[in-house]
Amino acid sequence: MRRIVLPGEKVFDSPREVESCVKDANGTYATEVSVFYDDKVVPLKGVYVPHQGEGIIGIVSNLNFSGYVVDLNSPYPGRLSDQETMEDLQLGDVISVKVQVVTEVNECALIEPQRLSGGDILEVPAVKVPRIIGRNGSMLNTIKEFTGTDVLVGKNGRIYLRNGNVGLAAEAIMKICRESHTSGLTERVTAFLTQNR
Amino acid sequence: MTEKRELIRNGKRANGREDDELRPIKITVGVLDKAQGSCLLEWGKNMVLAGVYGPREVFPKRDVDARKAILVARYVMAPFSGVEGHGRAGPNRRSREISKVAGHVFENVVLTEKFPKTMIEVQMEVLQSDGGTRIAAITAGVLALADAGIPMKDLPCGSGVGTIDEDNKRMVLDLDKYEDNLGKSDIPTILSPRTGEILLYQMDGYLTKEQLLEGLDKVQSKAVPRLREEMARALKEKYGGMAENGGVEQ
Amino acid sequence: MILDEVKEKFIKGVMREGKRTDGRAFDEYRKISVDTEAFPNAEGGAWVKIGDTQVAAGIKIDLSTPFPDQPDEGMLSVNAEFSPLAHPDFYPGPPKPESIELARVVDRGIRSAESIDLKKLFVKENKVLGVFIDLYVLNHSGNLIDAAALAAMAALNKARLPKIEDDKIVYGEYTGQLPIARSVVTTTFEKIEGQIILDANDHEEVASEARFTLGTGDGDKFASAQKSGNGGFTRGEFEYLLDTALEKGRELRKLV
Repeated sequence: MRRIVLPGEKVFDSPREVESCVKDANGTYATEVSVFYDDKVVPLKGVYVPHQGEGIIGIVSNLNFSGYVVDLNSPYPGRLSDQETMEDLQLGDVISVKVQVVTEVNECALIEPQRLSGGDILEVPAVKVPRIIGRNGSMLNTIKEFTGTDVLVGKNGRIYLRNGNVGLAAEAIMKICRESHTSGLTERVTAFLTQNR
Repeated sequence: MTEKRELIRNGKRANGREDDELRPIKITVGVLDKAQGSCLLEWGKNMVLAGVYGPREVFPKRDVDARKAILVARYVMAPFSGVEGHGRAGPNRRSREISKVAGHVFENVVLTEKFPKTMIEVQMEVLQSDGGTRIAAITAGVLALADAGIPMKDLPCGSGVGTIDEDNKRMVLDLDKYEDNLGKSDIPTILSPRTGEILLYQMDGYLTKEQLLEGLDKVQSKAVPRLREEMARALKEKYGGMAENGGVEQ
Repeated sequence: MILDEVKEKFIKGVMREGKRTDGRAFDEYRKISVDTEAFPNAEGGAWVKIGDTQVAAGIKIDLSTPFPDQPDEGMLSVNAEFSPLAHPDFYPGPPKPESIELARVVDRGIRSAESIDLKKLFVKENKVLGVFIDLYVLNHSGNLIDAAALAAMAALNKARLPKIEDDKIVYGEYTGQLPIARSVVTTTFEKIEGQIILDANDHEEVASEARFTLGTGDGDKFASAQKSGNGGFTRGEFEYLLDTALEKGRELRKLV
């Protein structure tokens, strides 16, 4: 059974180590508005905090002697050493990067930068990302197919769109975010794309 | 200026409420677009709008804490919010004190250590006031935090409780403006429902130990369950549909 | 401050062993002294020391216009100054939330207990006496609220009414005492590592997770209450606070 749980609501009668929960002697409690199912607590909203290994989309926000400071659609900036880049990056450059390592205070080192140019960028809540990708990438493939757009989805909720009908692809993604809580979404997005193709 | 009028008529509250009865409460979350989380709360004739920004970069920079997020709470009353003449805009001594104790309530439950070096702001604007605005504002702030996806140990809530009879004896819940102004005592109280701990407690009046305990128990047994229900309803109204599919297609 | 963190760890460690760093019992106040002769120019004054903490209270009485909703009552105003000389972290500037909170908690106690008989301060239509209490924190070594409340009450109990002639105050000449109905004092508790202590010093306050101030007046009643700090109190703890505040309040009121 899936059910909505609220901050402070008990999810287990014993103290357990569960993601997005706190515990005391009497039980384990949710800390965010979340869905509880299969012994998992999945938050429905929240800011992006980087984790090791995630592929994300950043924007170069500052330069210093050792490299670049990169905005990650998060309260925490990333650091990219200039050893990692072949070409010089400029302020405002959009790059796809991977999180190499995260410190205790959530600052992270980035690797494998790839400059993205000529496209549009969209920001959505990071928790919506799995919905945009869909089961085995099905939703994303549908969007790509119908719009002819290259869509790169960063775990941090930044989406990079290039070629094809970028406007339609963006509209479809916003629709998914707005209606992510309703069932039959795949069908409705497909219908939307067919109509507006 | 408040006119003198009866608070108790034929042994009952003049506003028609039972001693343990709260005013109607209407809560809507997610009413603002720019804020990370927001809440419009109507509690009787009180109307409060709360918005949460953050976690985001700290300003001013010197306030940065490498161990946790700093929490900034701001409670203000709009100059047009009261029935009296034009109020003064911006914070005054009363509102700054309330901002401080509201901040304590939020700090108690927000897992600030999850977001070191950031700032979380809770802005509370009282748009219409009718007694008990700090409780209404903090409740709205708590819901705006939940709506913003800020992790919290609990959803604190509570009510005012105090005496309005001439004998200063009978403890009643949720005093409105007239009861507050003309009554004998008022104790805004906020608890953590999960732990039963007192997170906000302020008092005007002259009461016995027994009365203070009676008031606390009334808030705990009558006000908190009602508030919990209303808060859950509001959050589920916005997020409820997501339960069907977990909001996520795996 | 990095020093605070070191102190905090130490204090918490000692507290877990059921002790305080200065060897006091959990419900023991430091030595208290009250000097009501300190400010002869004021209508009433007191210099209170609790351990190293020092707070001065001065009372001035002046003619003023009553509040429109209380045309026949005198006025009361309480203000607190955290002087920059009292602590390295105090700077000049607009009042901080802590000083506003202190002044308002003291104010509420005096007002709620109806300590001053404000009705007796009516002079004539549109003219009443205003009682202005200024609380000056001179050295901050913890528990400022209790020291300030004690100073305010001591000063009130000594305050004299100035002579009025031709709608003007004749300062330095007095017609009697300010009418005081009852005394009210505060007892402030801090919670550290689940233990509850009274009269915390400044380092204990840094280590504290929560504070509770209770104002008690003659007749064993509560006149003010203020929960502060981020931690919480259980109902059981609250009951302990109420009992202890009544007991300590009786002792403190003997000093004023």
